[in-house]
Amino acid sequence: MFNLKKIKQNAPAVPIFVWTGLLVGIPLIYVVVLSFLSRDNLGNVVFEFTLENYKRIFDPVYLKVFYNSFLLAALTGLITLFIGYPVAYFTANLEPKRRSLAMGLIILPFWISSLLRIYGWIILLGNKGLINNLLLKFNIIKEPLIMMYNFGTTLVGTAYMLIPFMIIALFNSVDKLDRSLLEASYDLGASKWKTFFNITLPLTMPGIAGGFILVFIPSLGLFFISDLLGGGKNVFLGNLINAQVTKGRNKPLAAAFSVGMIVLVLIVLYIYNRITKDKKEGLFL
Amino acid sequence: MQEPLLQLKKLNKYYGSSHILKDITFDINYGEFLTLLGPSGCGKTTLLRCIAGLEAIDSGDILLNGASIKDLAPNKRNINTVFQNYALFPHLNVYDNVAYGPRVKKSMSEKELKTRVADFLELVQMSGYEKRMPHQLSGGQRQRIAIARALINEPDILLLDEPLGALDLKLRKYMQTELAHLQKKAKTTFVYVTHDQEEALNMSDRIVVINKGEIQQLGNPREIYNNPKNLFVADFIGDRNIKKVKVLEKNNNYFRIKLGSSIIDIKCSDYAGGGCNPGETAILAIHMDKMKISCTEIPNSFSGEVMSVHYAGSQIRSEVNVDGEIVTVIEYQNNNSDYNIGDKVYISWEESGAVLLPLEDYVEGSNV
Repeated sequence: MFNLKKIKQNAPAVPIFVWTGLLVGIPLIYVVVLSFLSRDNLGNVVFEFTLENYKRIFDPVYLKVFYNSFLLAALTGLITLFIGYPVAYFTANLEPKRRSLAMGLIILPFWISSLLRIYGWIILLGNKGLINNLLLKFNIIKEPLIMMYNFGTTLVGTAYMLIPFMIIALFNSVDKLDRSLLEASYDLGASKWKTFFNITLPLTMPGIAGGFILVFIPSLGLFFISDLLGGGKNVFLGNLINAQVTKGRNKPLAAAFSVGMIVLVLIVLYIYNRITKDKKEGLFL
Repeated sequence: MQEPLLQLKKLNKYYGSSHILKDITFDINYGEFLTLLGPSGCGKTTLLRCIAGLEAIDSGDILLNGASIKDLAPNKRNINTVFQNYALFPHLNVYDNVAYGPRVKKSMSEKELKTRVADFLELVQMSGYEKRMPHQLSGGQRQRIAIARALINEPDILLLDEPLGALDLKLRKYMQTELAHLQKKAKTTFVYVTHDQEEALNMSDRIVVINKGEIQQLGNPREIYNNPKNLFVADFIGDRNIKKVKVLEKNNNYFRIKLGSSIIDIKCSDYAGGGCNPGETAILAIHMDKMKISCTEIPNSFSGEVMSVHYAGSQIRSEVNVDGEIVTVIEYQNNNSDYNIGDKVYISWEESGAVLLPLEDYVEGSNV
């Protein structure tokens, strides 16, 4: 029999289910199904089951792409963590007025198109860019430094693009930290550094892990940064998928790479869950 | 005489333009239980934090065993604190919390530490809880762990910042006795901060009453209770009737005063009547529970009319109108308490319950 009360109770959840179902669930199923299909010579999808797409992932050329992307994402996570932690720590310890100003400044770049901001880096780092011009002008260097179009440039651009996510995740974590715990640690004889490693760091571990996830996942899929700053020299997953859909006209293969990327993300999320669930201890204890 | 353990000398502290602590000067002796008592915002917690080193002082000095510690960081002072919310490390279990101090100071081997932690957990009656996490403990248990975590460092002084504030009434009463016992057992000097006068009177060897950043009175509980130095202390400690009276005469051992139409004699005690002169107005402060109502006329008493009688268990709280002044009397029920509203009664009091204070610090309606 219909339970009217139960239907009424769950009614507010319906839009969320419809939303996720339509915009996440169905496309996801579509991608997974697509990854097992073949294509004809013209690039049209043919309804014929095959594992060929997944086999091709293990081609050394494509494995290298997965490796590149994983390396880029992991390094981006680490760089944003090491730059973001002090920023978040000092911001969270500011007086309320300055703190909202600082947070505003951190979020401000979001208001500008990300493409424009990446072009900004080209103006800065290019062979005839601002930095090279200044260095040449003051005779610090004779030849322009080549800072563009390599893995490092892509890394800088990606880290720059995603660092606000890291800072916000860390900020929330540091902000929640009970200051009396730090005082208790000093009071019991610990120095500032020992307090940081024994108390602050373990207690902000959820923020560190969360920020890492927030940075790691999008950096796997970004492709325009490596196109603009990397000069297409290093191929990453995002570029590969993009190229297979547009130039390669091989949607099933692109779908298989996408599923591979999702699996990579799920592995990282699994590790994240393990870290945040486990008992956290200080490094010195 | 033995040198005091801790000496505070003309300590001043400002937050911006507000003067939080004003020329705080007093000594703390070895092994005593000293309480800083005052209303919230009076500066008592700030004073505690200055002793701990968590706040810098703006002027003055703090001497521990004769040596200045005012420039030492909290981790260099042999003083430990039990924080108001206990501040147990949530990611460490009971054992690791208690072992924290010795570990960061590397003062003993892990093997030695094991017996030490066991000793201190036994002291606070928490043996067997080593593996528990702080969130698995009740408020009272957390507090014991916080005390053990501080005491294991063998501090010269243990500072306690309203540690009973978060507990329910019954547990609070129990922990008061516990803390006093613990202090004697640990032979450590305790400096205890509270706004609860009953707690202070119950546990302390000496009490420092603080208001608006200034010391109002320093003494043992009996002195503070019976001989308040000024109106603030008289009003803050215990429940008193505080009335403006006219001083008529001053003799060697008593004042003759007038309240309404009643003329009575008040015995001079150490503080009572200091600075009061005949012809002036003064403040009479009498403990409500040291007064007695009688239906028959007795000498040296107020006469008035009963306005209300409230029975509160074993106590009776009555309000008597003495020529327009309302006097509240708290009595234990006895055979004589058979007065009713409208009866004419006579109020007498125990000598130790009454003090006469100069008018100077009286502010109409805002004396607490």
